[in-house]
Amino acid sequence: MTIAEAPTNSVPKIAIHNTRTKVIGGIMIVLALFVIFVFAFGSSPGAHSQLTFDPVNTTNAPIRLGTLTVLTRWCNLILGLAMLGLGIEVFWRQPRRGVMARFGSVAVLMLLALLFWAVRTPGPSQISYVNLTSILVGSSEVVMVLIYGALSGVMCERSGVVNIAIEGQFIAGAFIGTIVASETSNFFFAAIVGAIAGGLIGLLLAFFAVRYLVDQIIVGIVIVTGISFFSAYLNQQVFTPYPNLNTGNIAPSLPIPLLYKIPIIGPLFFNQSGFFYCMIIFVCLVSFALFKTRYGLHVRAVGEHPDAAATVGINVARVRYINVALGGAVAGIGGVAFMASQGQFLPDYTSGFGYIALAAMIFGRWRPSGAVVASIIFGMGVYLAANLQEFSVPISGEILQMFPYLITIAVVAGLIGRVRPPAADGMPYIRD
Amino acid sequence: MSLTSQNPVIVTILALVLGFVVGAFIIIFTTATILDAFRGFFNSWGAPGHAFKITFDYVGAAYRDMFTGSVIDPAGFWHSLTTGKGWDNTLTPISETLTYATPLVIVSIAVGISFQTGLFNIGGNGQAVLGGIAGAVIGSMIKLPMIIHLPLTLIAGILGGALAGALPGVLKAYTGAHEVIVTIMENYVIYAFLLYVVLSTPYQQPGQANDIGRSVHSSAQLPPIFGEASGLRVSYGIFIAAGVVVFAWWFLERSSLGFDFRVTGASPSAAKASGISPRAVVILVFLISGGLAGLAGIVQVVSTTHYVDGTFLIGDAGIGFTAITVALLGRNKPVGILWAALLFGALGVGGRAMQAATGIPFDLATVIQSIVVLFVATPVLVKEIFRLRAGKTQALQLGTQGWG
Amino acid sequence: MRLELRGITKRFGSLTANDNISITVEPGQIHSLLGENGAGKSTLMNVLFGLLHPDEGEIVIDGEVIKFADSGEAVRRGIGMVHQHFMLVPVFSVTENVVLGFEPTKSLNRIDYKKATDDIRRVSKEFNLEVDPDAIVENLSVGIQQRVEILKALSHDAELLILDEPTAVLTPQEIEALMAIMRSLAASGKSILFITHKLKEVRAIADVITIIRHGKVVGTAEPTASESELASLMVGREVELSVQKDAYAPGQIVFEIRDLVVRDDRGLAVVDGVSLDVYAGEILALAGVQGNGQTELVEAIAGMRRIESGTITMNGRDITNETPRNILDAGLGHIPEDRQRDGLVMTLSVADNLVLNTPRRAPFASHGTRNLGAVAQHAEQLVKDFDIRTTSVKEPVSSLSGGNQQKVIVARELSRNIDFLVASQPTRGLDVGSIEYVHRQIVIHRNRGNGSLVVSSELDEVYALGDRIAVMYAGKISGIVDPSTSREDIGLMMAGTTVGALSD
Repeated sequence: MTIAEAPTNSVPKIAIHNTRTKVIGGIMIVLALFVIFVFAFGSSPGAHSQLTFDPVNTTNAPIRLGTLTVLTRWCNLILGLAMLGLGIEVFWRQPRRGVMARFGSVAVLMLLALLFWAVRTPGPSQISYVNLTSILVGSSEVVMVLIYGALSGVMCERSGVVNIAIEGQFIAGAFIGTIVASETSNFFFAAIVGAIAGGLIGLLLAFFAVRYLVDQIIVGIVIVTGISFFSAYLNQQVFTPYPNLNTGNIAPSLPIPLLYKIPIIGPLFFNQSGFFYCMIIFVCLVSFALFKTRYGLHVRAVGEHPDAAATVGINVARVRYINVALGGAVAGIGGVAFMASQGQFLPDYTSGFGYIALAAMIFGRWRPSGAVVASIIFGMGVYLAANLQEFSVPISGEILQMFPYLITIAVVAGLIGRVRPPAADGMPYIRD
Repeated sequence: MSLTSQNPVIVTILALVLGFVVGAFIIIFTTATILDAFRGFFNSWGAPGHAFKITFDYVGAAYRDMFTGSVIDPAGFWHSLTTGKGWDNTLTPISETLTYATPLVIVSIAVGISFQTGLFNIGGNGQAVLGGIAGAVIGSMIKLPMIIHLPLTLIAGILGGALAGALPGVLKAYTGAHEVIVTIMENYVIYAFLLYVVLSTPYQQPGQANDIGRSVHSSAQLPPIFGEASGLRVSYGIFIAAGVVVFAWWFLERSSLGFDFRVTGASPSAAKASGISPRAVVILVFLISGGLAGLAGIVQVVSTTHYVDGTFLIGDAGIGFTAITVALLGRNKPVGILWAALLFGALGVGGRAMQAATGIPFDLATVIQSIVVLFVATPVLVKEIFRLRAGKTQALQLGTQGWG
Repeated sequence: MRLELRGITKRFGSLTANDNISITVEPGQIHSLLGENGAGKSTLMNVLFGLLHPDEGEIVIDGEVIKFADSGEAVRRGIGMVHQHFMLVPVFSVTENVVLGFEPTKSLNRIDYKKATDDIRRVSKEFNLEVDPDAIVENLSVGIQQRVEILKALSHDAELLILDEPTAVLTPQEIEALMAIMRSLAASGKSILFITHKLKEVRAIADVITIIRHGKVVGTAEPTASESELASLMVGREVELSVQKDAYAPGQIVFEIRDLVVRDDRGLAVVDGVSLDVYAGEILALAGVQGNGQTELVEAIAGMRRIESGTITMNGRDITNETPRNILDAGLGHIPEDRQRDGLVMTLSVADNLVLNTPRRAPFASHGTRNLGAVAQHAEQLVKDFDIRTTSVKEPVSSLSGGNQQKVIVARELSRNIDFLVASQPTRGLDVGSIEYVHRQIVIHRNRGNGSLVVSSELDEVYALGDRIAVMYAGKISGIVDPSTSREDIGLMMAGTTVGALSD
């Protein structure tokens, strides 16, 4: 039983709902005003920004769309007014559902306005255009990894086991993946081996949590710490003497004929690596399995009410072992995917993505579809924060680094009280 | 002392043994020399013996270097004892261990207090760093007589850490945000802040383009106990650490607030029914835990490093995470944490010595730590491995579940 | 089916929960297993249902010796169980709960919900158990949830139905309905094993009664046996079935609730305009089936749940929405419904638990430091005064029996110089001796001229303790009556009939 239960009991939900919604609405309005006064009126009347759609990588390029030039001030004013409208709606009408979706939209609009403002000419930036396609494609790499992680989290937690070790599974997958990819140049094999590594870690977690009833969060943290340092150790012992084992290389893009020519959508969905396509397949598979099949019903029963499941003959421990192992395997593949987008392994370069993925899982209400939406929002945030420096945004680079993590904190703080994890999530199942 | 797994000391010792055994296997399987020797296992009659000899030599050397590098070198000790000279060299390993352990004890106590209240403070790293920054700024950018300057610097460190702790505490109390995610994210935020402070603000060391901050003035330093000349780094900081241990023991066992913390950790609902305010407790825990972590950070600055740089407290196993393993090993009790911190401090220092001598990266020491902790956390497993009689030992449960 | 239990023995360490128990249930028979809390009934049922393996003895079904590997096999063999705490997944629908573990499937392992729903409707009609297959279980009333449990068992073709304390959560009318269902099931050839500690029900429905005490069978009886005969068999001695109270001489109003409205976690008004008064020297018993707002009412009184509107006054002082700390200090004693969750800290010592509500008060602490000597002394005194059975006050309270744990809570509250006592289900799960003890303590408090509010879903307790009886239904008070009111009328009030509408 967490301490968080105590505060929620003392204030009925409707009261919390109102205060929190008002606060969120207020924040939205403040952001909108910021956009209007700084990004809209802060641009000179004649300034214009350019929006381009052609990806940087010209192989398998889609149909050219050319450049769209907008007047910065008016464009941002429109964006700001849209944000204001949403903010006022949330603050005033306090809708019961979809508050976070509206907030997410406001965040996206604000980022767009920020970008337009940053690239305005005349202006301080070297770059005078916003390349929508390359932003989308660039962030899709981060989003992909987050989805792998969040999906892993969903699979584990739906059966009642908290998997804090996703970060460790990423690292392990990336490490093993680069070795296999360097030796065989075959990313498929790398993925398989990465899956096995992740699965074994999952089994370790399940072993301690299910069989020996150790607190799942503790086990997870200790495992991640161990793996993090083990990989640094091996990085020294293995990669320094044999650097040819760490030339993982970037996974090739596999364009889907015809479809890849569609502007914007083409490069984003139909000209990606195999890992991207697999991710989409996994999401669909897990959704289907969890909500339509017999297996999925058993899993969810174990995660909600293990006693009820046990009394109809379901083996709670076995369900948890299987699910956590599979979840670990998915995270392992995610680690390989990350490595394949970076080209090599570096210690700790996963930078907390495993934990952001967990936040995405919570945001997504433990559903694969929700996890996808949440990962998109978080992923774009991470990508933009990392790349905003190019646009000479007058915020120091180090501060920009903070943003993904600050956003994660804000999201996690803004949601609780309205999310319902699987009822037995994190609770060890004790048989008499 | 019967050999039942009810005896936590026995379990800890056995877990240690297991940890070293696993560590030995890791060394074996990842060292080229040993693997080569085994590759020629069937080449000749002498080959197996040779392979095993290489193994024992190598692993033995590694562990021996660990010991002599962190505790004492028996040969050097004998020499100093008989000739009365060279004490500085002989005592260096222990001095290093104590130096390393000083901030570790303090952060581990911080983490242990939070664990006893059922809260996961995974942000010890960030809180210590923020404390270090706050204190270092006060210590280096103003000049005051030592009698004011040093305490002021230390207080600044405590406040910095408490400030960092306030965020997860307040968020958890008022929104129920799970402290694991918030504190882990906060660690990353504070690291970015650290880089910012040492690169882009007036705190940067003048004349330096790198990520190094200013050094604190001597009026804000904790000097080494045996003087600068001895080369022994152990400072008066160990008294602060000892003081923290005593404080923590008194706080948890004897103070009313500590009682409230323990009740809340054991049963949040009973705590609420009996009049304890859960919000107040959550916020206070993080303030105290963060403040102590901040103290650890500033103690590290004023006694050992004298400045803050871009790798402050990151290099060595991320002190916050080591603190978690130490707290678990010490079963969240202050005295246990003290011993565990000394032990892991020795492991850390010894690991570096081992690296210097044999080239085995010191990360291995951290891996051993993790394994030891996992075994300690599951006495049942240790019991099964060693077939101890089953006592009523409980797996280390912190009574928290899921995401709230 | 014909079920025989032969010599079932089950031990947990040094405790023998079941000692050589032999019972026979004939087809079409309603066989009742009577025993007080802690007698070993639940253990026996877990053995029968395959959740535990007996150390000795065998289970014989229709002449064949059977060993269950797990409860799934017991179900396949035709044993169905309706648990005391329902084994239903709250967020699942009725259909999902009923088919769990035995789902009909289509291709690709997909669940065939259409077939499942059709099957449920069929069984539902056959046994006259109306339920909506698509309803989400957590939105259903407790009585309907129980029907789903029964449906679940029947849809697995159960031939023997075990019902474990099924009436704890039902109104008298719903109990009647349940008994009608049991009779019709028995008439169609099913065997029923009905476990309870309630004497009235056993005499109303059972064909045969087996009495269990301390893990052994101590006798069988016909339903014609008197209540006191059954009670003494159950407990092993003469049982005082009512409590001695001094004459009823109410004084001033010491506790007032006016138009109280409290909302639950989902925003519904679970306490919907409740008003009542309690006088000095009086026990006001609040009757009602669990789940009609009593839990939230007590939480609101104790400061653990926010009050939306209305007031609570204790001894003239307004304690509406005060913090639990202030309310306790103002003189409220609280015996919570869930003693292990809200009343005690299981891992702390008996001594610590005995000062749990007042740890900072002198002499237990001063200037923020605890005085452990004073705490221990206080504990020793209370252990003596209240006859708490424990090896030492330093022992964790989890090592005490349920009855002694409740004694710790009672001792703590009643020794604390309180004015008003709120006790919620104070004798749930206790053995008869402990029940007698707790009742006596509450009456002592009353006889001294203090007021009490006792919330209970056990009508026997309500009648025994209450000087006046209030009945709660759906968040409102159906009426406040005196103890001469008939059980039928109270039952009607528990189901919603207001006192004015009762027929004379």
